[in-house]
Amino acid sequence: MTSTEERSDAGEKAASPAFECRSVTVEFPHKFSRKRIIEDISFLVRSGEFLTIVGPSGTGKTTLLRAMGGLTPTVSGSVLVHGKELDGPPEDVVIVFQDYSNALLQWRTVTGNVAFGIERILERRETELRVQDALALVGLEKNADDYPWQLSGGMQQRVQIARALALRPAVMLMDEPFAALDAMTKASMQDELLRVRDRTGTSFVFITHDIEEAVYLGDRIAVLTGSPGRVDRIFEIGLPVPRDQLSTRQLPKFLEYRYAVHQAIGRVHG
Amino acid sequence: MFMDKDRVIAGINWPGTAVLVFLGLAWEAAVRSGLLQYEYLPAPSAIVLGFGELASQGILAPDIAHTLIAVAIGWTVAIVLGISLGFLLGLSPTARRYGLASIEVLRPMPGVAFAPVGLLLFGFSLKTEMVVTILPVLWPVLVNTIGGVSGVHQRLYDVGRTFRLSRKDTILRIILPAAMPPIVVGARISLGLALVLAVVAEMVGNPEGLGYGIVREQQALRPDLMFAYIVTVGLIGIILNAGMLALAEAFFPSFRQLRSGP
Repeated sequence: MTSTEERSDAGEKAASPAFECRSVTVEFPHKFSRKRIIEDISFLVRSGEFLTIVGPSGTGKTTLLRAMGGLTPTVSGSVLVHGKELDGPPEDVVIVFQDYSNALLQWRTVTGNVAFGIERILERRETELRVQDALALVGLEKNADDYPWQLSGGMQQRVQIARALALRPAVMLMDEPFAALDAMTKASMQDELLRVRDRTGTSFVFITHDIEEAVYLGDRIAVLTGSPGRVDRIFEIGLPVPRDQLSTRQLPKFLEYRYAVHQAIGRVHG
Repeated sequence: MFMDKDRVIAGINWPGTAVLVFLGLAWEAAVRSGLLQYEYLPAPSAIVLGFGELASQGILAPDIAHTLIAVAIGWTVAIVLGISLGFLLGLSPTARRYGLASIEVLRPMPGVAFAPVGLLLFGFSLKTEMVVTILPVLWPVLVNTIGGVSGVHQRLYDVGRTFRLSRKDTILRIILPAAMPPIVVGARISLGLALVLAVVAEMVGNPEGLGYGIVREQQALRPDLMFAYIVTVGLIGIILNAGMLALAEAFFPSFRQLRSGP
């Protein structure tokens, strides 16, 4: 490789988005043929951006996220992280799953769970520091020695988020992480997540079927509709930051976005 | 391990103990009053005296030692075999396709039936005891390991992949600890079985240890000593089980919770 190529490579990396899907299509074997789950999905995730993906059930939201995380192979198209095409789970990307009780290691304490992703890679001291940082980010310092089954659902999901954050990923992929939580816990977790984004500069791809949640959290919203699922529209959300559970949700603009996203989903289904 | 005296006392099942004491007293009374008239059924007090006689003759301790060694060897071999085979069969569909049929054929075979085989091959020896012991003791730990390994939730594999664990790390850091509760349950069942089968092997094969003690005292028409041996076997069973539970909970603090979980 010549030096000019190296330089242009580096330049490209700095300018390139954190994450990119280029006409991603996923199929699963179905009876004697193959069923197409998602089709021709393309979008960018900017560095530090909060992208929400909203859509009714059965549109392949989870499949899309798994393809982005390298857990599910694509039949065509490609997923790029920092401009590099991925084959398998990429280094800088981590998934947070919806079912926290299955995703946590029940035999490990909170500290042990949060250390899980980094303990093989980092030295012990560095691991401890990162675990402390991650626990502080999600407000679980006091529960470091508890076991997951001793915690409430919201706290368990915080542990999973802390475990992902400890890796200091460039992109966090979240699959309906708050779907199983009650409304109050959900609201405080949403704010917590936005704070984490502001402090760490991590990009978030956040899947939800809750339109209000998608509008509240997102810098942009990708609407997934149909079967096979396609990205029908991408909305730029111009709501003021920091968001506020009471005032943001009362803004006329918030209601407009909510209406528009509803329309975008309903147009296909209605 | 340090234990609070009050906690030990609080941990005793008093109503259960009272029933046991009552049954013992009823037995004693039935024999003494002549309600139970068998020539060779001793009263509990006679059995207690029999313990003293065996101990003073110095034959109880070596017999206990022999049986415990047989249990330890048989159980350890079965555990090592069972866990490694269980992992192989639990993780590899190919191994299951080739191996499960043999297991289904071998499993119903009673271990005791191999005693004559052991005798022919190895004569009166510890090896004969192993022939009888290992095969039946293998099954609980093997079956539970297969179940535990194949029952690891799919999501945990996803977690392993998103954190980019190698195959080896996935086994050591996810599958092994996740499958540990059923494996420990299997190992515990195996331990109880190992004692039973070692005693049986000593009764029908190798003339040593507690099992032979039972037979010897029966033939010597000393039912008090015979019962003393039987009670000894029972007590060892209780102690082994309790020790196994304590070990499991010491090594896996979450075991107590997981044991009662799904």
